[in-house]
Amino acid sequence: MMIMKYNWKLSGLAALVLTVVACTDLDEDLKGDFTSNFTTVSYVRSNVNKLPPNDGLGGAFSRILNGTANHGSYFSVQEVSSDEAVITQKGGDWFDGGIWLRMHRHQFDPQVGGINGAWNDSYGGITQCNSLLASTDPQVSTPAAKAQLRFLRAYFYWRLLDVFGRVKLTTQPLVDVPQSTRLQVYNFVESELLAAIPDLPTAKEEYGRVNQYGAYALLSRLYLNAKVYKGLSSFDNADLDKAIDAADEVINSGLYTLDVNYKDVFDPDNIDAKETIFVAPFDELTGEGMNFAQMTLHYPSQLTFDLRDQPWNGYSTLEEFYNSYDAADARRAQNFIVGPQEDLNGNPILDLAFDPADEDGAEINYTPKINQLQPSGSRQAGARLGKFNFKKGQLPNMDNDYPILRLGEVLLNKAEALHRKGDNSGLALVNQLRARAGVANLASLTDATLLAERGRELFQEALRRTDLIRFGVWGNAWWEKPAHSDPNKNVMPIPVEQINATAGSAFPLTQNPGY
Amino acid sequence: MTRLYLFVRRYLTVLFLFGAMVGFAQGRTVTGKVTSSDDGSGIPGVNILEKGTSNGTVSDVDGNFSISVGTDATLVFSFVGYVTQEVAVGSQSAVNVSMVSDVTALSEVVVVGYGSQDKKEITGSVVALNTEQFNRGNVNDPRQLLQGKVPGLSIYNRGGNPNSTATFRLRGISTIGSNSQPLIVIDGVLGASLENVDPNDIESINVLKDGSAAAIYGSRGSAGVILVTTKRGAGKNGGTNVEYNGYVAADRAFRRQPVMTASEFIAAGGNDLGAVTDWQDEVTQTGVSNVHNVSLSGGTQKTGFRAAVNFRDVSGVLRKSGFDQVNVRANFNHTALNDKLKMDFGFSTTDRRSDFSFNEALRYAVLFNPTAPVRFDNGEFFQAILFDNFNPVAILEQNINDGKRKSINYSARLDYSILENLTLTMNYGRQFENNFNGTYFSRNSFFVGLNRGLARRFTSESDFTLFEGWATYNKEFGKFNLDVTAGYSYQQDNYEDVFIEASRFQNDDLGYNQLEQSDDFKTGQAIITSTQNPDNKIIAFFGRANLTFDKGIYFNASVRREGSTRLGPNNQWGVFPAFGLGVDITKYVSIPKVDQLKFRAGFGVTGSLPGQNGLAQDLYTFNRNTGNTNFARNANPDLKWEQKEETNIGLDFGLFGKLTGSIDYFVRDIKDFVLERDVDPAVFVSGRRTENVGSLRTSGLEIALNYSAINVGQVTWNPGLVIGTNQTELTSFFNNRFITGNFGSPGQNGTPFNLVEVGQKLGTIWGPVYDGVTSEGKVRFKDLNGDGTIKADAGQALLADADFKKLGRGIPTMELGWTNQLRFKNWDLNVFFRGAFGHSLINSFRGFYEPIDPGAINSYNRIKTDKAVDVETLEEAKYSSLYVEKADFVKLDNITLGYRLSLPSSSVFRNVRFYTTVQNAFLITGYTGIDPEPVLGDPEDNNNALVTGIDRRNTYFAARTFTLGINVGF
Repeated sequence: MMIMKYNWKLSGLAALVLTVVACTDLDEDLKGDFTSNFTTVSYVRSNVNKLPPNDGLGGAFSRILNGTANHGSYFSVQEVSSDEAVITQKGGDWFDGGIWLRMHRHQFDPQVGGINGAWNDSYGGITQCNSLLASTDPQVSTPAAKAQLRFLRAYFYWRLLDVFGRVKLTTQPLVDVPQSTRLQVYNFVESELLAAIPDLPTAKEEYGRVNQYGAYALLSRLYLNAKVYKGLSSFDNADLDKAIDAADEVINSGLYTLDVNYKDVFDPDNIDAKETIFVAPFDELTGEGMNFAQMTLHYPSQLTFDLRDQPWNGYSTLEEFYNSYDAADARRAQNFIVGPQEDLNGNPILDLAFDPADEDGAEINYTPKINQLQPSGSRQAGARLGKFNFKKGQLPNMDNDYPILRLGEVLLNKAEALHRKGDNSGLALVNQLRARAGVANLASLTDATLLAERGRELFQEALRRTDLIRFGVWGNAWWEKPAHSDPNKNVMPIPVEQINATAGSAFPLTQNPGY
Repeated sequence: MTRLYLFVRRYLTVLFLFGAMVGFAQGRTVTGKVTSSDDGSGIPGVNILEKGTSNGTVSDVDGNFSISVGTDATLVFSFVGYVTQEVAVGSQSAVNVSMVSDVTALSEVVVVGYGSQDKKEITGSVVALNTEQFNRGNVNDPRQLLQGKVPGLSIYNRGGNPNSTATFRLRGISTIGSNSQPLIVIDGVLGASLENVDPNDIESINVLKDGSAAAIYGSRGSAGVILVTTKRGAGKNGGTNVEYNGYVAADRAFRRQPVMTASEFIAAGGNDLGAVTDWQDEVTQTGVSNVHNVSLSGGTQKTGFRAAVNFRDVSGVLRKSGFDQVNVRANFNHTALNDKLKMDFGFSTTDRRSDFSFNEALRYAVLFNPTAPVRFDNGEFFQAILFDNFNPVAILEQNINDGKRKSINYSARLDYSILENLTLTMNYGRQFENNFNGTYFSRNSFFVGLNRGLARRFTSESDFTLFEGWATYNKEFGKFNLDVTAGYSYQQDNYEDVFIEASRFQNDDLGYNQLEQSDDFKTGQAIITSTQNPDNKIIAFFGRANLTFDKGIYFNASVRREGSTRLGPNNQWGVFPAFGLGVDITKYVSIPKVDQLKFRAGFGVTGSLPGQNGLAQDLYTFNRNTGNTNFARNANPDLKWEQKEETNIGLDFGLFGKLTGSIDYFVRDIKDFVLERDVDPAVFVSGRRTENVGSLRTSGLEIALNYSAINVGQVTWNPGLVIGTNQTELTSFFNNRFITGNFGSPGQNGTPFNLVEVGQKLGTIWGPVYDGVTSEGKVRFKDLNGDGTIKADAGQALLADADFKKLGRGIPTMELGWTNQLRFKNWDLNVFFRGAFGHSLINSFRGFYEPIDPGAINSYNRIKTDKAVDVETLEEAKYSSLYVEKADFVKLDNITLGYRLSLPSSSVFRNVRFYTTVQNAFLITGYTGIDPEPVLGDPEDNNNALVTGIDRRNTYFAARTFTLGINVGF
């Protein structure tokens, strides 16, 4: 019986251990990540340039940094498809499945370079706006905050309207909607901007935010392109009037004047630029996303600017476009890097892997002339994109703020709208910009001079594709790009990734006509 | 039925009375000797049990035993490899037993989940390997012990970097987005790390291949279960054994990537920089390794212990790569309370210091200009700004990349026999691991940018807790034997880490050890991140019943109900059942020349968990850019187990008294596999979400054969063959057809090379077909569909009229291992061939650097293989059929010659054996790259299982290894 008692105790203990320790709690408490319950962290990191406001909107507004000035997204789509920038295939480098060559030649297909990035980056901003607009946090629930967010969302939708046309107009988190027509997207952007204006400030905008004039500046762009967006056969004077009125709101606000030097608008320390209306506030540490040095410079130019990371030798401008500038045009000197390159000590920098066939030899000399698009584009050919100046000792991300909207463009918008109505009074506006650039006044405006002037002024500001389409010259031939007359190419195909991602959902995306 | 009922009732009563009926009548002592019928020598360690009791002992080193028995006792003698014998004692006081070895080799006891089974009883597909069968030579990773030995188990450590571990894959692709590594169970501690076991300490490894065997492990058994048993102290009478195993090994780079010599390079138009440098020579070395293992083991009838110290100083073929490691392992077991209580304690600790070196040095050694000097005359390294090409010697000399890993494991297990037939077991294990990785790029290094010194420190800490308790009930009634196990399992793991990166140092003197010197702290550029995982838990209840009828028909069933914190709140718990049936046909039907024929069939369900935590919750992350915490990832509250259902049918056989083997056929369906996928960014913030997105079906055939070819006197030759073949088909997916993979920079980004399509097998290499060179030196692709237009750009791969086709398979269709064990007197020779067939590799060195336009010859040296075509004219590097090479291979993986000294019985040594091994002795393959072993997942894409067959440029150079070793026992 002793044994029996003993066993009772032991098995009782074992049973106890099994039942008591048999925990079945499976709640997951993420210790290293924020989930639904946390105290909102919202403070402003010191931007080298300036402090963005501590208004809780940074999560949405910082999305403007994505795709605006880096490779493989909105900037690339707007630039590489146009006549102002190209990525040549440099032997073994930059073929990348032909996606950039096809982009240059307007052989668009659902996998062509950058379109999926442009789509994702735009919606990345839109869904952040949607989630903040749905938030009950008092800081972001004020009419002023909501107006900022509605402006920003409208801006991202404008990008989608311009590039893709037919997109989904989602306005609430996790609520799917059917794909809209391009006209519906146009109407939405217009109505959202108009709705936001009353609650936007009339004073000078805060850093990285907008005021009413930002909304008007975007409206002037929207109305100017209304013919394209609405699919009209000719420009509608009503739209042009609206474009002029919106531009006038900005011009007459008294808040913006042209900077004395064109250069000052684009420098690394361009925070005090007087003509910027809405900027993407890049910062090498706290506002990452501008990679022009990597994108355009040849590898050894690392030594010229003491860059931390090696450049990729991708983008340059087309020779014809470079030559559209007068030699005296201050904008040419600002916008491009050409000629022999030196290191910090003034010694020539060398490409030790130089092509023996290249007459420039190992010493690097950026020439506007490009020998060929592919397969053996010379590694040092092409004027480089230098509008946003490189800082010595720069990190991979640049400090220059990127103007999304600026007075220079608004003046050109107004001049063009007037011109399209047969009114030549916009000439003075154009000549203001030319005077600043140190070139002679134009005597008159034509479609061609206006387009060329916009090109010279707005180079590298991701507007060229939109302009070429509006001026009806999108299908024209240019260097290594054959002519076409396919109106379907006015928008890009819906990226194959997005067609796949929405397949099987309630509202699958359908491809744009012609793709 | 009535009889069964009576048995059940009777033993339920027993259960309630808890042992009241157990008698311990013990009377006289019986002594004797157990000998082998083969040669009459004593057999140590034989289990001797008084039948119907738990009273037992073990024979000593000479085979002698002594046991107290009751009246009318029957003794049961059992030992691995011998036929179990029963001897009625009667009135004898001395019983001598001659044991007959079991030729069918099917009588081993095999460790399975939560217990062990006689191999006869096993109904699933289980492979047991012991030290005899392990791979030999310079083996630093326990995984390598198994390479080629288990049909259906693919193990590849491409190149053989001593600091990397092998990719394990059991029966093909078991998952795409979740954890694909098999569950490791070390001495009963599941989820343990193989990194903490020295190969020298491993006694046996059992692989549970099919779902019916693995289902008892539930959610983590999907990719198979590897059960590792470490060596134990034998419970013998007195005596302590000392074993020393040591070897010296030399690794030499075995194959190189052929490139142009300096003169060929100049002739091809390269710029002559004045020197002649063989860069591959400059970065490789003869890696010399020293490995020493000393163990003490011994014990008494009641107590056993073993303690071992392992020291490894290993160097690889890449200069500065290698590690030093000290591992200590100790086991202690004891039987008490009239042998009712068994206690087993284990402890191990590993301390490894690694020098990881830089694999990129091997890549640049292939590509760097062969006329460039290593250093300028002033002693400074030759460095030039070239795209993605750096002086490989400078990389190794200027920079530091090292690490430390420390781990401690301990475990305790108690078994208590409450009743004669009922045992309770508690198993507790803990595992701690600390990792450190430090890198420093010096101020003058060009390698990762002009950082003026860049330091990184990464430290992580993880711990794992296991608690399990189960009861085992065993009863024989009539012709039935029932074995029931039921229990509970609790697993928890935690992880945290800190990463710091800072650059711009005033000097290089202190490397990564003085971060505060960094100028980045003045400007806020330093990067610091920290993470901590939640208490990641898995909780399970499990049960199993094994029923044997007539010792010829075996049935088992198991079920595990398991829950995980990683899944959606509604889908946290899953049920994983399994059934198995085995029939010993030869017991019932006599077939001439067939010694053994056993049919097995099993069905089991296992699961797999997503690889990340927190997927079922909304996630917000702090954004450095904004100073805000922003919504980053949408929750998937419906996330559930990835479920695998597997049916296995097998046959074990013994023929002509010489041939034994097994054949297994399996079909497995994986449903709801977990993958992070693109979702509509208009709806979901991040545009990515982890979901259950598709299903896979794998089927395969596995064959293992062992043949006693020669067994004449002192000569034996036992060849063994292992063949595995399987194919995985994508049966459903959210995306019906897509291309994946990225050939990469320079120039071939956006260039996928794998096609994934529902209804097709995984592993398809897809691309355009090379059709010659144009007059401008461009690639001309083949117009495959004959429509007159060639659409062969990567971006056009999915168009209806694209000129693309299947160029090969990334995954082998068949893998083979051929073992030969020869013995002659004191000599033993082990020859092991291994091969894989049906796979191709995309040779990315060739794909980038074989055709080079004249403008780029100076950027990179040119690859020179006999597969090159249009060498003089082709100037454009574009991925195509040209670079997809068949990579079938057979290698003499391992050849070992050993000699055992004949020792007089008076010798202080028990055994002394010398051996020498050559690994990678020879290779037959048509592949021109460095290593023809398959690439089952892209190393540049987290080993993504959908991206296969791409041989990347950073591949470590494969080594041929010569080893000289000695085993001494005293």
